Amino acid sequence: MTNISSSAVVAEAEGPLVPVGLPTEPKKAKPGWRSLNFGSRMWIALGIIGFVAALAFIGPLFYPFGPDEKVGSLYDYPTWMNTPPTFEHVLGTENFGYDVLAVLMASARTSIIIGLLAGTIAVVIGVAIGVLAGYVGGWVEELLMGFTNIVLAIPSIVILILISISLQSTNVPFLKGAVGLALVIGITSWPWTARAVRAQASSVATREHIDVAKLSGARTPSIMVRDVLPYLASYAVMAWVLQLASAILAESTLSMLGLGPSGANSLGKQLFWALAFQAVATGAWWAFLPPTIVLTMISFGLLYLQSSLDEVFNPRLRRGKKKNLAKAAARRAETARKLAENQPVEVNA
Amino acid sequence: MTSILMRASNLTAVYAADSGQDVPAVDNVTLEVPEGQIVGLAGESGCGKTTMGNALAMIANPPLYVVAGKMEIDDEEIDLSTLARGSNEAHRPYRGSTVSLLPQGAMNAVSPTLKVKNLVIDVMRAHKRDTTVAEAMDRATDRLKMLEMPTRVLDSYAHQLSGGMKQRMVTVVSTLLNPKLLIADEPTSALDVSSQKALIEMLLAMVEKKIMRGVIFITHDLPVLSMVTDRLAIMYAGKIVENGPTEELVNNARHPYTSALLSSVLDPTEETRTKHVLGIPGSPPNLGNPPSGCRFHPRCQFAMDVCKVEEPKFLNERDHEVACWWANDHAYETVPMEVYKA
Amino acid sequence: MGLRRYLANKTVWYLGALVVAVVLNFVLPRLIPGNPVDVLVSKMGQGGLSSEAQQRTYEAFMREFGLDKPIWDQFLLYISGVFNGNFGASFSFYPTPVSSLIAQSVPYTLALQLPAIVLGWIIGNLLGAIAAYKGGGWDKSVFTTALLFNSTPYYCLSIILLYVFAVVLGWFPVGGAYSLGTSPEWSWAFFSDALSYWWLPFASLVLINIGGQAVGMRSMAIYELGSDYVNYSRSLGIGDRKMTGYIFRNAMLPQITGLALSIGTMVGGALITELVFSYPGMGSLLFGAISSSDYPVIQAVTLLITIAVLVANYMVEILYGFIDPRIRASKSGEK
Repeated sequence: MTNISSSAVVAEAEGPLVPVGLPTEPKKAKPGWRSLNFGSRMWIALGIIGFVAALAFIGPLFYPFGPDEKVGSLYDYPTWMNTPPTFEHVLGTENFGYDVLAVLMASARTSIIIGLLAGTIAVVIGVAIGVLAGYVGGWVEELLMGFTNIVLAIPSIVILILISISLQSTNVPFLKGAVGLALVIGITSWPWTARAVRAQASSVATREHIDVAKLSGARTPSIMVRDVLPYLASYAVMAWVLQLASAILAESTLSMLGLGPSGANSLGKQLFWALAFQAVATGAWWAFLPPTIVLTMISFGLLYLQSSLDEVFNPRLRRGKKKNLAKAAARRAETARKLAENQPVEVNA
Repeated sequence: MTSILMRASNLTAVYAADSGQDVPAVDNVTLEVPEGQIVGLAGESGCGKTTMGNALAMIANPPLYVVAGKMEIDDEEIDLSTLARGSNEAHRPYRGSTVSLLPQGAMNAVSPTLKVKNLVIDVMRAHKRDTTVAEAMDRATDRLKMLEMPTRVLDSYAHQLSGGMKQRMVTVVSTLLNPKLLIADEPTSALDVSSQKALIEMLLAMVEKKIMRGVIFITHDLPVLSMVTDRLAIMYAGKIVENGPTEELVNNARHPYTSALLSSVLDPTEETRTKHVLGIPGSPPNLGNPPSGCRFHPRCQFAMDVCKVEEPKFLNERDHEVACWWANDHAYETVPMEVYKA
Repeated sequence: MGLRRYLANKTVWYLGALVVAVVLNFVLPRLIPGNPVDVLVSKMGQGGLSSEAQQRTYEAFMREFGLDKPIWDQFLLYISGVFNGNFGASFSFYPTPVSSLIAQSVPYTLALQLPAIVLGWIIGNLLGAIAAYKGGGWDKSVFTTALLFNSTPYYCLSIILLYVFAVVLGWFPVGGAYSLGTSPEWSWAFFSDALSYWWLPFASLVLINIGGQAVGMRSMAIYELGSDYVNYSRSLGIGDRKMTGYIFRNAMLPQITGLALSIGTMVGGALITELVFSYPGMGSLLFGAISSSDYPVIQAVTLLITIAVLVANYMVEILYGFIDPRIRASKSGEK
């Protein structure tokens, strides 16, 4: 029978009950950074993100072709599929005859920059509104949270589309480009963060150290910055990771609707052109799979990073290592056996 | 002497830590509950008293494992160990009917989307599958009337009841099946003084009416314990260090830890008013790596060389047990408190 | 009493959101320097229209769309249009009314999204619940798969499904909603033909919804597993099956509000899914309107999406008020 109260929470804890004690390995001194207990998930996530970042920022330094260099015609096969195979254009060419890998690297760079900019704007606005509402309370909170809830209820994609359409028709190149898009995404995606931060901030506001700060004559802004913000830092980092992911996805959604940054490559624009020129229907996989995969990697990597950060910041979510738990189970069985036989037990063996 | 209702022996329970190390929270402990009596289990936070309550109530859950232990209750013998597969299901029939738990913090003890009466029906059906709704309601209504509680609680959700009422409602549900033994884990600690009083009176009335035949009352609140219990067991770092009739133990503490624990409580009698309130120096040991010998020796004013090396055996004097080298050398003597007073 | 207050509170907030949305939908497209007709006519100019003809078209359009009136009158016109379901005529398909363009697209969008949202929610919650209940290897495989789907952008999965199942394997048609030569009608032949086009876009929406709901349900259920009432019920000898019932009833409630909050995201994702599959729903209509600067259509589509999302959220929250006894009993509604 399943023991439901335990099975899910500590499923891994129920390792096999090995009948005899396993020899314990001699303990090795761990380097300092190991004590952070990052766990394998964190490394997988960081690995994925690191790979994409290297592709976007280091790749172009070594790749001989640029994203605006016409090297072929519509959907040339990757050169390793030719006879004889060469490795000149590993991912072939796209609809305009540009090298797909070169465009991919430039696109990933733009997308990441848009994500960083928009994510940061969203987190800064969200944290500011959340802390102000949560700490000050009263009518300020009512007002700010009322506003936030209204903005939350309206689907942000609609607002994004409408603003982007207006931006497309301006004659200011700055607003039409990547920076303008990042601004728009940033100022439309803060409400989630604001709502969550407010909840945290109002719980911090009731803690004793805030009273101490008030009694010692600190002013409200200084309390908010010095005594409330530090407690929200870990939360803000996690929110930032999520905002980064959702900003990159928002950019590609807009780009696929034809509202992408003008004068720049981006992962969404790459997909837009691939769809416009029937890459999927004609089987030109090298034109649409690379941006699809990179987008999925970014999204998966960042969400995975967020959930493993959650484990680092909330140790209660951590689970023991399977190997250790199996060993412990074996030792436990041994102790039980000795107790049953009334032998002396050395509990901390 | 009264007969023994329950005897738990060689109870050992460990917490599995992340690192793979097992932390023994209850270490080879034996405890008896005489028929019709309330036994108090006291000690500092983290001494293992709640763990022991969970092990006895048979609800140990990973990362807590009961490694060994046996409970003899009436004529039954129950293996408390949770290591074997299926032990959870094997223990289920005993829970609620043989041993029942009155949990720490009843605030969230009932599912927020469940009416009390549905919980009552589920509890009755868990032990007698064909119980009808009417039967369950009759029983609950009778019990509430007997304890002078309003029957409307049955139609409420937990969040509609006040803290004190919730705790009393949970007590009624816990004892609905007339369990032989009730384990009350800090039932009063979250309540205000008048609710505390009401709950204690109710528990005493229930023992009086023989709804349950024995109670283990776990708390760190010594004044409450000395008021309600017949016997006291003092726990330190996963072991019981002293155990005896309440009055005897309070007036004639034989273990320095008991003595220190008693002296750390405000007692408004004439005799103690002039004394200083004394804490216990030092802090409880890390159970993952307890001190050698007597576990209390690093904090003990009476520690001798032997205390650091060898674990003291239980010394039995007139139904009053103590595990202490000092007590071994000073038969029947009360621990001289003044020594602390420096 | 608590419930009534909760309902009133929610109604006021959603009405507020609706007003803001309607106003934004009017104001934002008018932030364009010049006006929509300028953009359109200048595009026509590139198409080789003479300047005199341009001028005539310009004036005709200005009159037709009321853009020569003061902004306040335009707003009143817009509001009355919203209430009558009259969004004027499309620029690119002039003089086809926008409402008939929308009427053609809405059925396809609904056919895709409604089942995807409802089924995705039900299946996802079941899977998440089972994963939390079973634990072990089951949990691990379900959770990892769900997490992967949950973090895959809608259009990425759409593209991959389209390529693998339609282009490479040839199991499904490559795009569109029905075969060339057939036209929409109420017949079994058309229905089965349309169904073969429906599967892939539906699958790409439903798989991601399942993933998201399963991840959420699993963590809610695991959170509930650690709560006091589970421990207490156990101590009373209540069986696992019964306890599972308690847990899932409680874990379900946040999932309902979760549904409300995710509808907006789902709708946005589904727009692009339609694009990928050239499925003739609202997403494709919007895409076409954006690329041809068909402002009346853009405005109508965005307004409809907003209203649909608001109404869906509102209904879910009202339902929640009836289901959760804590709201029924509490003295004040939460925000």
